Amino acid sequence: MSQVSPGRVRGGTSQLRVPLLGVGVGLRVPHYAYILRERPRVDFFEIISENFMVAGGKPLYHLDRVLESYPVIQHGVSLNIGGPAPLDRDYLTRLKALVRRVQPAWLSDHVCWSGADGAHLHDLLPLPYCSEAVDRLVERASMVQDFLEVRFALENTSSYMTYTASTLTEWQFVSEVVDRADIGLLFDVNNVFVSSYNHGFDALEFVRNVPHERIVQIHLAGHTNLGTHIIDTHRGHVHDAVWALYREALRQAGAPVSTLIEWDDEIPEFEVLMAEAERAKQEQALALGSAAGD
Amino acid sequence: MSSLTQLQLELAAFLQRRSLLENDREASAWATRTLTGSSSLSPVQQLEIYREQFWLRHTSSLVEDFPGLSGVLGQRAWERLIEGYLERHPPTHFSLRDLGARLPAYVADQSWLEQRDLCRDMAALEWASIECFDAPDTEPLNPAELQQIAPEAWTQATCVLNPALRLLRVAYPVAELRRALKRSRVEGGTVSYPDKKPENLVVYRRQRELDVASVSTGARDLLEGFAAGKPLLEAVEGVVRSGHVTESELGPWLTALLRDFAANGWVTRVELP
Repeated sequence: MSQVSPGRVRGGTSQLRVPLLGVGVGLRVPHYAYILRERPRVDFFEIISENFMVAGGKPLYHLDRVLESYPVIQHGVSLNIGGPAPLDRDYLTRLKALVRRVQPAWLSDHVCWSGADGAHLHDLLPLPYCSEAVDRLVERASMVQDFLEVRFALENTSSYMTYTASTLTEWQFVSEVVDRADIGLLFDVNNVFVSSYNHGFDALEFVRNVPHERIVQIHLAGHTNLGTHIIDTHRGHVHDAVWALYREALRQAGAPVSTLIEWDDEIPEFEVLMAEAERAKQEQALALGSAAGD
Repeated sequence: MSSLTQLQLELAAFLQRRSLLENDREASAWATRTLTGSSSLSPVQQLEIYREQFWLRHTSSLVEDFPGLSGVLGQRAWERLIEGYLERHPPTHFSLRDLGARLPAYVADQSWLEQRDLCRDMAALEWASIECFDAPDTEPLNPAELQQIAPEAWTQATCVLNPALRLLRVAYPVAELRRALKRSRVEGGTVSYPDKKPENLVVYRRQRELDVASVSTGARDLLEGFAAGKPLLEAVEGVVRSGHVTESELGPWLTALLRDFAANGWVTRVELP
């Protein structure tokens, strides 16, 4: 069922051979019963790793049932890869145990930091885009990938603040991290849109200037515009402007990319998510058909 | 210390402040030096977005995990309690699941709470439920294995409890109150504070479902003996000494209890020395 992407290489430095999984959706609690009863036709599911880094009970029971029928990939929110403290060994050990259970084609977390001085803030805080932060992320991302023995990817985040200490654009920063660490890029085009609105940069410039051969997955989601800024709420349908960025990202990649619909607030019926996933497939066909015709 | 680390330590401290940063001169000055702002938000307003999210995220997580406690307290007292709790015990674990681990002990120390003992019991019940929810899975006790244990070996046998089980001594009927609060959220209506009614609760998970049972003091003492790793004879002697069962009643009493413990999945293994 799975396909393998052609291992496009930039600069001859990497072979990011990951399977092309199609269009998937996030595995969320309100849908467990429906999924296990109806076994809907979904290409793959993405789990939030931390929700399953537990000893037993319902979470792992449901995960095991889903694993019987679907490919599952892991997405994390608490690695704190950019934080001032060294990586949490206990966290990584538990994450590796989950990797052995799930056997994901790849695993991801965010270009961010989440805590300092012993406190875990449970947020995806942006880093200043500077060489010191690049060095820190590169060293740790390589270590994570080696330790977990699975393809590791980092996702560009939405942000609501920018630092005077930044010396790079966000796309330069992200590109340097994934290139030097030799890891994948989980490209969230909704996050690109949100941050471009919040910080006044050109979203298309971001989309066109990341290493497309390193994109292992694309995230799509809804957001909430508060006027002064946009919050990445993962609520509601993907906005038209984000679909446009998605098509451009695919054109730049020149091939289909595994894509995930995220919907985490006011979670709708599963059929609504499936319809959004179907739209993503249509947009892929539209984008790549256009590219072929150009 | 690197400049990046310094920035992160300072920022993390601002995000954990309880009051609005726009009214905070130190925060405003720091933000102006450190953040760019945008065409529609000043630097300190950008910082405030993250501070607000810190409190919203953690208070929402605690409301979800402690619906009974928040229901007993009501909005205002709940907010006061939780803001104080997060200030005293900032989140330190990567998982939000562990956020309320110290809440029962914190509640017990809050003399301003009108119904402190009731709140303490409710917090303990809800934390025990969280611990049982995702504790390790175990196989149920196999009756055939029990039958192979020689009668004389039972005295030194150790009954191992289900890891998804917690024992609580409460002064108020909090399990019943929690169910009533849940019903009232669906059906409407008000729920009154209950009178004191000491109970011994067993919070446990069986077949992936959580349940709460009330047990006698003798059964509680026996289970506490098992939880402490005491051999059966020593655990039973403790119950007899406390006067909850006489020696003449002991045989049938113990047989019935062990049968119930096994049927409920509370004892999952019997180990012989």
